[in-house]
Amino acid sequence: MRGEEGAVLVQLQRPLDQARIDRYAQVSGDRNPLHVDPAFAAASQFGGTVAHGLLLLAYASEALARAWGLRWLESGRLRARFRAPARPGQLLTVRVLAAQGATAALVQVLDQGGQVLLSAEAQLPLAPSGHPQKGGDSPG
Amino acid sequence: MPLPSLDQLPRGHRFAPTAYPLDEAWVEAYLQAVEDATTPALAPQAVPPVAVLALAVRALLEQARLPPGSLHLSQELTCHRLPHRGQTVTAQATIVSRGERQGWLLLGIELLVEGEGGEPLVSGRATLGLPAGGEGR
Repeated sequence: MRGEEGAVLVQLQRPLDQARIDRYAQVSGDRNPLHVDPAFAAASQFGGTVAHGLLLLAYASEALARAWGLRWLESGRLRARFRAPARPGQLLTVRVLAAQGATAALVQVLDQGGQVLLSAEAQLPLAPSGHPQKGGDSPG
Repeated sequence: MPLPSLDQLPRGHRFAPTAYPLDEAWVEAYLQAVEDATTPALAPQAVPPVAVLALAVRALLEQARLPPGSLHLSQELTCHRLPHRGQTVTAQATIVSRGERQGWLLLGIELLVEGEGGEPLVSGRATLGLPAGGEGR
């Protein structure tokens, strides 16, 4: 999937609540109290629980899979920065934006106020011909 | 024996490789937890690369305590091969950098997940920020 630089290639939304964070903690094995213990987290610098960074990265990766299909899952690369905590009660927007070249994209996870919580640069390898291979479709 | 605190471990520390089966129940639970309908639609047997990256973090957390207040600052990810259901993967983690800045201990941790034949599936680097002067020091 291609687009002019900055064009939104894929956008999806994910509501975030404590139940979702707890489910991720259970399946990932990361039960850091900052994520799952509201009383502990309330006394931390965050003032409440926050989502795991890798949960946000999973949302970003799914959005890239929608944009680029199996090529992303098989051979993609990504560099992500966690810029602000994601908290229960937020509605997250995940965006894949076209970057320079057909094999590069920017990914953002934003809260409902537009604050960037995660930003990432993603890339696909070039095909042997030097041209990007055909990506996948976008189910949504 | 209590686990060491992550901030006690030196640069070069290698966590013991840990094997995890990508069984159906765990993969389904993971896909539900992250609400990922795209990966199974693209390839029904596939396991998202970020899922196996999470197992590398799990291997680390099973061998060291994360000091309270620790932050995941950044993450790099490279997908080498698509993991699939039924596979047993081995997750490894190594502390490759350690330094202090502005009251934080910054740890760079290389993560690698391999398939049964030792073929790399996913690799990456996590940067963690730990409160300097934390429990381990």
